[in-house]
Amino acid sequence: MELVVGVDVGNSTTEACLAQVGKGAVTLLATALTRTTGVKGTPKNADGAVTAVRAALERAGVTPDALHRVLLNEATPVISGLAMETITETIITESTMIGHNPATPGGTGIGVGVTVAIGDVLDGPEGPVVVVVPPGWDFDDVAATLNAAVDKGVDLTAAILAGDDAVLVTNRLTRKVPVVDEVAAVEKVPLGMLSAVEVAPPGRTIRTLSNSYGLATVFGLDPQQTRQVAPVARALTGNRSAVVVRTPTGDVTDRRIPVGELTLRGEARTVRVDVDAGAEAIMDALARAQPLVDATGEPGTHVGGMLAQVRDTMTDITGQPASEIAIRDVLAVDTMVPAEVRGGLAGEVALENAVALAAMVRTDRSRMQAVADRVADELGTSAAVGGIEGAMAALGALTTPGVERPVAVLDLGGGSTDAALLDRDGACVAMHVAGAGELVTKLIDAELALDNRETAEHVKRHPLAKVESFYHLRHEDGTVQFVQEPLPPQVFARVVTLGADGPSPVPTRLNLDAIRRVRREAKRRVFVVNALRALRQVAPRGDLRALDFVVLLGGSALDFEVPDMLADALAPYGVVCGTGNVHGTEGPRNAVASGLVMAYAQAAAP
Amino acid sequence: MSSPTTERTLKLREIGPARRGTRPDEVVIALSPAFAGIFSKTIVEVPHAEVLRQLLAGIEEQGVTARVIQVHDTADLAAISHLGARLSGSGISVGVLSRGTTMIHQRDLARLSNLELFPQSPLLDAPVFPQIGSNAARYAKGESPEPVPTRNDQMARTRWQAKAALLHLKEFETIEAGRGPEEVELDFELSSAG
Repeated sequence: MELVVGVDVGNSTTEACLAQVGKGAVTLLATALTRTTGVKGTPKNADGAVTAVRAALERAGVTPDALHRVLLNEATPVISGLAMETITETIITESTMIGHNPATPGGTGIGVGVTVAIGDVLDGPEGPVVVVVPPGWDFDDVAATLNAAVDKGVDLTAAILAGDDAVLVTNRLTRKVPVVDEVAAVEKVPLGMLSAVEVAPPGRTIRTLSNSYGLATVFGLDPQQTRQVAPVARALTGNRSAVVVRTPTGDVTDRRIPVGELTLRGEARTVRVDVDAGAEAIMDALARAQPLVDATGEPGTHVGGMLAQVRDTMTDITGQPASEIAIRDVLAVDTMVPAEVRGGLAGEVALENAVALAAMVRTDRSRMQAVADRVADELGTSAAVGGIEGAMAALGALTTPGVERPVAVLDLGGGSTDAALLDRDGACVAMHVAGAGELVTKLIDAELALDNRETAEHVKRHPLAKVESFYHLRHEDGTVQFVQEPLPPQVFARVVTLGADGPSPVPTRLNLDAIRRVRREAKRRVFVVNALRALRQVAPRGDLRALDFVVLLGGSALDFEVPDMLADALAPYGVVCGTGNVHGTEGPRNAVASGLVMAYAQAAAP
Repeated sequence: MSSPTTERTLKLREIGPARRGTRPDEVVIALSPAFAGIFSKTIVEVPHAEVLRQLLAGIEEQGVTARVIQVHDTADLAAISHLGARLSGSGISVGVLSRGTTMIHQRDLARLSNLELFPQSPLLDAPVFPQIGSNAARYAKGESPEPVPTRNDQMARTRWQAKAALLHLKEFETIEAGRGPEEVELDFELSSAG
């Protein structure tokens, strides 16, 4: 009988599995989990490993000198990096339009007229006018001035205000007209130009200014000019209010930013692809170049910068020179990022297309032997490095009740998604693909414009709810939960994430449904896409139907919805898919550490 | 180009004891005992007429109605605001002290808690009040407004504490123990600026 402990140093956690091994039989004594110290594969890991081993020993009530051997994993030399780049931008020239959608515009309907400053409106301008009001005007004074002008016979058709008082002004007008407010750069609205202001009733969107022929009717445009204003109409779609000013050369353009060319060098051939063609084109190109040897970006372009950024991160982590780092896999994901429109008068925001790239690098400088030496030193026992991580994970996964060989494991980590297949004869194939939890966090962060990694992480990990009063909240599936103690004031009326330490607010104007959609889409585009991609690479003949059991492991297998999404995605292939339960007690954790012990027992058995 | 300046004065006309509102679309503004009485301006000389007009404007801009009450038996902002919240049909109130300190309260909260507190009266100028009114109205509508940014000035305490204490004592003297809150109507009078 021997007392051995398997230790798995992962990217974020270090896990230990203490067991009694004798004649091929393994008796589990205790497991432990702690944070990884330092970057995975560096000597600093020893501290975390020792802590984990001590914790497991303590839990089992065994002293360190009884320990026969410490088994460490061969850390997968895979590190991943991320970059994101916007590939479209919207530009407004000559202040052609205002489409910022203020929360409370005034009046309803459409008004067409020539723009006039409020200071000049009492001079009795001819024809229909749209009044422009600079900041600093009180709502009572604006209303009084406009009413006086109307009494003098001015044909008032609409107003554009700098402050947030459109409802106040319209409530005080004798002749109700549509009013758009909160136009920050109101001084840039060109005066003396024909313009149109439209406000829709609450809960509706504008119908005329968002329609190209509506614009043509309002401004009397010919077919050629109508073609030119079509982008304006498109930019205003879905708004409750809008202003369009007709200037001689004003325009709204939707420009594609040249991002550069990505060169994918495969073993057989090299494929080039324009990044602004989008994620689908990039992934197609990647499929043609497989297996990938390296990826490079055109120097001096955005994509060149993106990949250089990834390489720099790798250099920092591994200490390997950038020229020696080869990118072995790339995952491209299309995303929409809210960005402020250039040339806008009121801080308009447009959803721009962006591409996120996750890249994975293989290094050959794992220094696990150094870790093993230090661990052996500290604990006064012998330590050995051994076992391919993928094979060990599969062995550990086999302790899940209801699983038999051949088994495929899917390790959903932070940086990469790893798949391994252990067949009936014990042969193992392992595959790593770029993109996992970190990329999901980044997508959520960018699409919700949170600009805060921690909040994005919260949104990713926890279900949402809306706090409807101090005593009840509505979960994202619509069920209502009452609470005994009043909820804290800072979450009142907010969309919150329900983490372990109580509800915490999500700082965004988006509603619960929109946040939920962003979260689920991000997970689908990364985990589902990557799971299928990785499993196809390990499955016999690349056929998913040839797989029987798929066991999900890793931190993201603990996610509240990813396992269900993957099970749904794999169901059509007749695969049994579920979250692992190592030893029937440990959940998706501890698979590699347990696998190390199992492998040791098998090798010791005759 | 700036707006023509007019000064407005404010008189409060009592129209009977304040009752609990039933409309879910109302915000109650609860005033301290000396508001628009022996005082007519805040600590930084914002006229009380302007404070109320801007609060009401912020509420109206959101399409919510407002009711104004005056509390007579306490000069404690939390107590005034919480009483207002309990009388408010939506459960939301804005409490204001004569010197300008302001709070947004909700009836289910503990009295000494609040939704938003603007504690440093010397930093509250006229443009802040419509934002406070607007946020109160949006809470009443069940929306999730971003809290109005509260300003903070380390020196405000030392510079203004003596004046604030005097104003508080003066306000304290006008307390009438046992007198319930009164509902008031507002009479704004225009007088051209001097």
